[in-house]
Amino acid sequence: MIYTVKSPALLIIGILMLIWGGLNNSGAVDGMQSYLQKSAYSDHMKVKEKFDAEMRVATEMAAAEGKPAPDMKVPASKFDHVKAYQAQLSFIFGGAFVLIGLFSLAWKPKQGNLDYYVSVVPGVAFILLIAFIVRWGLDPVFANWGKAVKDAGTLTWDFAKIFNLNYVVLGIVIGILVVNVFKIPAWAANGVRTARFFLKTGVILLGTLYSAAELAQLGALSVVMIGVFVLGSVGIVLFMGKRMGSPNSMTAVLSAGMGVCGVSATVAASPVVQAKAEEIAYTIGTILIWGVGCMFLFPTVGHILGMGPVQFGAWAGTGILNSAQVAGAALAFDPHGIETLKVAEIFNITRVLFLPLIVLWLAAWYVKHEEGAEKVNLAQVVVAKFPVFVLGFIAMFALSSVGTFAPAGHYAGKYFSSAEVKEDKLLKGKETRALEGELTRLREPESAQALSKYLVDKSVILEGHKVTAEEVYQALSDLIANKKVMTRQQNNILKSVAKMEGLDALAKGSIEKAGKAAMHDSKTIKAYRDWIAWLFAFGLIGLGMQITGKALKQAGGKPLIIGGVVGTLKAVGSLIVVLMFVKEFV
Amino acid sequence: MLAEALALDMAVPGQTLIVHLLVVPDFWAGMQGDDWLNNASTRDTFGSYVEGLLEKDVAQQLRALEGRCAERGIAYKSVMRQGDPAECLVETAAQEGASMVVIGPPRPKGTPGYRSRMDLEPLARKLTVPLIIANRP
Repeated sequence: MIYTVKSPALLIIGILMLIWGGLNNSGAVDGMQSYLQKSAYSDHMKVKEKFDAEMRVATEMAAAEGKPAPDMKVPASKFDHVKAYQAQLSFIFGGAFVLIGLFSLAWKPKQGNLDYYVSVVPGVAFILLIAFIVRWGLDPVFANWGKAVKDAGTLTWDFAKIFNLNYVVLGIVIGILVVNVFKIPAWAANGVRTARFFLKTGVILLGTLYSAAELAQLGALSVVMIGVFVLGSVGIVLFMGKRMGSPNSMTAVLSAGMGVCGVSATVAASPVVQAKAEEIAYTIGTILIWGVGCMFLFPTVGHILGMGPVQFGAWAGTGILNSAQVAGAALAFDPHGIETLKVAEIFNITRVLFLPLIVLWLAAWYVKHEEGAEKVNLAQVVVAKFPVFVLGFIAMFALSSVGTFAPAGHYAGKYFSSAEVKEDKLLKGKETRALEGELTRLREPESAQALSKYLVDKSVILEGHKVTAEEVYQALSDLIANKKVMTRQQNNILKSVAKMEGLDALAKGSIEKAGKAAMHDSKTIKAYRDWIAWLFAFGLIGLGMQITGKALKQAGGKPLIIGGVVGTLKAVGSLIVVLMFVKEFV
Repeated sequence: MLAEALALDMAVPGQTLIVHLLVVPDFWAGMQGDDWLNNASTRDTFGSYVEGLLEKDVAQQLRALEGRCAERGIAYKSVMRQGDPAECLVETAAQEGASMVVIGPPRPKGTPGYRSRMDLEPLARKLTVPLIIANRP
C-alpha cells in the first residue's frame, strides 16, 4: 500500500512559513506584531527611549570633547526576541517542508518505510501551521479584545480570560471544526494521527521539570485522589448498572470509562469484557461529550474560584473523565506557565497506571457475573496494557535529577546565583541603611524574642533544622555587607523574615529586591518548557481533529444517564475535596 | 426488518433482483476518539475486536435475507459499504441501476441502537428512482 498522497499542500505550507519568517526578519509586519505582541512592544519602546536618551547624552559629551558621535547599537528588546524566535521557527520548519514538499512531488513513491514517513509530514505541517496561527495570531488577538472590552467598560470582566480563549482552547476548537466541517484532507490524514506520539513525547519531556520532592508529593496526592475517585466511580457504575438492569458488558465497559481515563479505558476494556458494538458507541459518545464540556467548564470555574496550579491540576486530573481533556484543561487554565500541566500530568500518569488494575478487576467481575464468558489471561492483560511511555517519563526525571540537562536545582526554570547578580541590581545606600536599622532593632531583647517566637510559630525550617535568630542576624549582616544575597539558604531565611509583621517597609522591599536579583532564568529549562508547550499544543490540536460530531452523537441510552450522574458526582466531589484539603506546594 | 419484509412482498420471483445494502456507519472511524494513553497494540486489539463485532452482525443480517430470498426464488445480491448511510444509498442505487429503493421507517424514540439516522433530504433530492418507506404496523 502506498501512503503518500501527491499534493502541493506541503510545499504551499512551507512557502507560507518562509514568507512569515521573511516578513518578521525584514520588519515588514512590525505594525501588526506591535498589536499582537503588545507587552513585548511596550518593552521595545522603553528600550528604544532609554537608548535614545543615552545616545543623546553620549553625543553631547562627545561633541563637548570635540570627538565624533559614538557608534552605539540599540540593545535587543523582548519584541526583537519574539520576532526573531518566530522567524527562526518559520525558517526551520518552512525550509524543511519546502524541501520535503518538492521531493514528494518529484518522487515516485514505492511501498516501504520512506513512503510512510514522507506521508506523515504534510499532516504534521498542517497541524503546525494551525498551531502557529493560533499561538502567534488568534491567542493575542483574543487577549487584546478581552482587555479592550473590559477597558471600554462594556463588560466588567475579561471575557477572553474567563472563557480561556487562549491558544490551547482555540487550537482544540479549530481541530474539532476542521474534522467536522471541512474534513481532514487526504494528504494530511496520516500525519494527524501522529498527535498521540507528540503528546506522549511531551509527557516524557515533562519528566525533566520535577524535583524529587514535588514528584513524591504529587505522586502521593494523585494516588490518594485517583484511588478514591476511580474506585468510587467504578463501584457506583457497577451498582447503578445492576440496579438499572444494564447488561454486564455495558456496565463493565462504562465503569472503566467513567472511572479511569475515559476513552482510553473504554478502548482497553471493551475486548476484555466483550462489550457489544452499540455499548461501545454509547460509552465513548458519552465520555467524549462529557470530556469536551468539562474542558471548557473546568478552567472557567477554576479562575472564578481563584484556584492555584496544584488545586486546579488535582481537580482536573481527578474530575475530568477523559485524559486528553485533562491536559487540555490544564493548559487552558494556565497557558503561559507549565505548573498546572505538571500537576495534571502526574494525575494522568497515575490514572494510566491504574488502568491495567481496573481492567483486571472488571475482567474478573465480568467472568464472575456473565455465564459463558471467556476467561482472560490476567498476566497478558497487564503486560499488554502497560503504558511504556511512563518509563520514558521516569527515565527523563532520573536523568534530570542527576543534572544531565541542566544543573541540579534549575528544574523549576529559575536558579539561585549570587555571582551572577548584576551591578545595577545591588542594594543602594538607603536600602542597606534601612536593613542596618532593622538588624539593630531585631537584636534588641524584645524584638529578638518576637523574632524567635515568629521562627518557631511559622516553623521556619531549613535543611532539616529550625532556623535560629542568630542565623537571621548573620543573613542580614551578609546582605548589608555584600549588597546582595550570598547563599540560597540565606535567601530562604530572609524570604521568611520579610513576611514578619512590623518590619520596616523599605527593609522588607530591599530583601525582596535582593532575592529577585539573585534568581535567574535557566535558559535550558526555559527552552524545555517552551518545547513542551508546543508539543502539547500540537498534540491537542491533532486530538481535537479526532473528535467527530458523529461520535459525540452516539452518547445516549443508560450510559448517558449513569455517566451524567457519576461524572457530576466525580467533578463536584473532587472539587470539594481539593478545596478543603489540597494546598499549593509546587 | 420492515424494509426487508416490504421488499420481499413486492418482489416477483424470477424477475426481481433484491440488492441488499448494508452500511457500516462512518462514525466508527472516529470511535477511538482522542485516546492517546494506550499503546498501539491495545488500539489494534480494540480495532480488530470492533471489526469482528461489526462483521459478525453484518454476516448475520446478510445470511438471514439471503435465506428468505432463496426460499421464495428471488435473486439476491449484497453490497457492503462504509460511510454516511444516505450517501451510500444514493451511490449504490445509481451503481446497481436500481428501479426503486425501499428503506425502513425511523426507529421510535427511546429504542436502543446507533444514533445514525437516515437523512431523508439528500435521498429526496438525489435519488432518481422512487423511494418507498416501509411503515410501522
